[in-house]
Amino acid sequence: MIRNLAFGVFVGSFVAITCAARAADAPAEIKLGTLYASSGNFASISMPVHYGLKLWAEAKNAEGGVFVKAFNKKIPVKLVEYDDQSNTATAATLYNQLITQDKVDILISDSGSVLTSVAVPIARDHKMLLIDQTGTGANFFTKDNPYIALMSDPVSSIWPKYVADFLTKDGPALGIKRIAILYSTNDFTGTQATAVRTFIKASGAPVEIVYDQGVPTNTTSYNVTINNIMAVNPDAVVELGYPNNDISFLRNLQDSGTKFKWLFAIYPGLETELLVKNVGAKGLEHVFSYVPSSAIEYKPELGMSLADFHAAWEKKYADAKVEFGFNSVAGYTTGLVLEAALGAAASLDQLELRKAIFGLSGKLKTLDGTFELDEMGAQIGEITPLGQLESDGKDGVKFVVVYPHDMATGRPVYPAK
Amino acid sequence: MLEYALLAGLLFGLYYSLVGLGLNLIFGVMRIVNLAHGDFLMLGAFAAFWLFNLFGTNPLVSVLAVLAVFALLGLPLYYLFVPRLLAAKDPEMLSIILFFGLSQVIEALTTIAFGTSERSIPGNVLGSGPVRFLGQSFPIAWVVSGMASGLAVLGVYLYLYRTRLGYLTRAVMVHREEAVATGIDVHRVSAIAFGVGLALAATAGVFAPFMLGSVTPAMGVDINITSFAVIVVGSLGNPLGSVLGGIVYGISLMFMQSYFSSWANLLPYLLLIGILLVRPSGLLGRQVRRA
Repeated sequence: MIRNLAFGVFVGSFVAITCAARAADAPAEIKLGTLYASSGNFASISMPVHYGLKLWAEAKNAEGGVFVKAFNKKIPVKLVEYDDQSNTATAATLYNQLITQDKVDILISDSGSVLTSVAVPIARDHKMLLIDQTGTGANFFTKDNPYIALMSDPVSSIWPKYVADFLTKDGPALGIKRIAILYSTNDFTGTQATAVRTFIKASGAPVEIVYDQGVPTNTTSYNVTINNIMAVNPDAVVELGYPNNDISFLRNLQDSGTKFKWLFAIYPGLETELLVKNVGAKGLEHVFSYVPSSAIEYKPELGMSLADFHAAWEKKYADAKVEFGFNSVAGYTTGLVLEAALGAAASLDQLELRKAIFGLSGKLKTLDGTFELDEMGAQIGEITPLGQLESDGKDGVKFVVVYPHDMATGRPVYPAK
Repeated sequence: MLEYALLAGLLFGLYYSLVGLGLNLIFGVMRIVNLAHGDFLMLGAFAAFWLFNLFGTNPLVSVLAVLAVFALLGLPLYYLFVPRLLAAKDPEMLSIILFFGLSQVIEALTTIAFGTSERSIPGNVLGSGPVRFLGQSFPIAWVVSGMASGLAVLGVYLYLYRTRLGYLTRAVMVHREEAVATGIDVHRVSAIAFGVGLALAATAGVFAPFMLGSVTPAMGVDINITSFAVIVVGSLGNPLGSVLGGIVYGISLMFMQSYFSSWANLLPYLLLIGILLVRPSGLLGRQVRRA
């Protein structure tokens, strides 16, 4: 009896001392190194993501930090953040600085494929896991690089799958036979254009691509291009650009009085508030787009509901200089995945973090849908459905999900009038 | 396709003439490089955006307000920066550094004030429906912007060639020291030219939401590159050379978009390299020295 008691006291003391030692070893903060672009071409997609991540970090710190399994305690997170001004050369220098000078625990890339592209080789060279927020370029993900994981968007090569499926499966019955593809020449939209092309050709459907042209990402006038597309008489037009491209394209379309029978663009769905402000609800009517997580009520298992997150966003960023939308949800999702990973990783070793993040694959449901990675770290679980924007009867627009059929909330309007 | 590109190029050419005009006027008179030119254009665009959003002011009315405000703003800015620059050993190089700094400050302050998102004004405030011309159809906003640009260019021509102040301005452009020797108040003349240069940039900004789709605080750099291509092609230092440069640029851009769309962003650089190799003084180069 006394021996058992003594043994119990010994084991208890050992566990207590070990835990105390681990807690004593715990850092005062977990340093998350990240970049954002407050100016330049990518500011409008970078700032919402960054603000979403900041909102998560501040919410966690208000609760005492995130639970870190490696130290069995909550630890505050500190964002070490620099402004790359949308410049890839500046971004490359700053990514290096985060790793070598600031010695961050976790490296998080800026938003978008262009500013992520320079981080991929740097992270790999330093054996740092790159927490890729929204850099979806397919060439970032290779079998020989274990140091990358895509958090919040599906990889570009599968993103437009539902668009292509709709055109090839439902399109012919509607009368869609001739398809035009216009894209901006960058990793994000270039990869999507390749994917659309590949899906269409592989489908064997009776549709043909009658126009396939790229334009520089800084293109600001599209009237000549619109005129050229009209000249080939397409039944459907797939326009793949960044927000500035989509705004210019849709405004030029509206101002010229041209109507395509079927038109897809990326950002009317992803940044609807921004597009409504710039193009107007009328200019967006009948446009097809991705139905983003900010418009679908996914049931998250971690973090705030969409309504709560939107309310928190409006409260924190009441000046409306950065619009709520798909990208703001993406930044917040990055934080949630990190939170779950830190709660599961045995240590802060980069490959342990990777293991923890991959362990969440297919199991974690966030505001972006089901988090799922392929073996190379590419996100394959958050494919956005295809929707069509319709007037909400006021000054805004609402989504009608048209594909896939099991998610559809209405039928497509074709041809658009 | 060919006719459309040509006519659209002419409309855009008129607009790009206005985009480059202010920069060229300032360089012609003061031999300084205003690298904040694109940022003043951006400020004009934001002024029009906010006047429209807050008071519903039509951009054609905003032009008048913007012209007056930026012309007046140019006077103190001139006396704050330019006389010191001109007294330096290498004013051109120093002006590049100084106005680059000013450009950064303007962009940063505008970003803080208005955020980073794209802003625009509905195209139909300049009229509704497309305009048909020679069998082609163009947005009315383009036509109005092109015509307004043409009027602004005409205004600069009248200012330079039909007013006493214009004669004095051209005298300073030809030879600043000789102008001083003949008793011309070169600082007064230059200050007014500086104000006019900024006002022209801001006026181009008012029409930027219609011609460029949307505006952001970061647009200044791209505008500067375009402006330099326009004025170097026309003739550096000859304000009216900007008209020819603008039209060459506009038509070339539309042809590039039609036939080599992926490479269209190389156009400013190709034009710059081409003109510097073939005719370094620009298409109207001789007139620089005979202004």
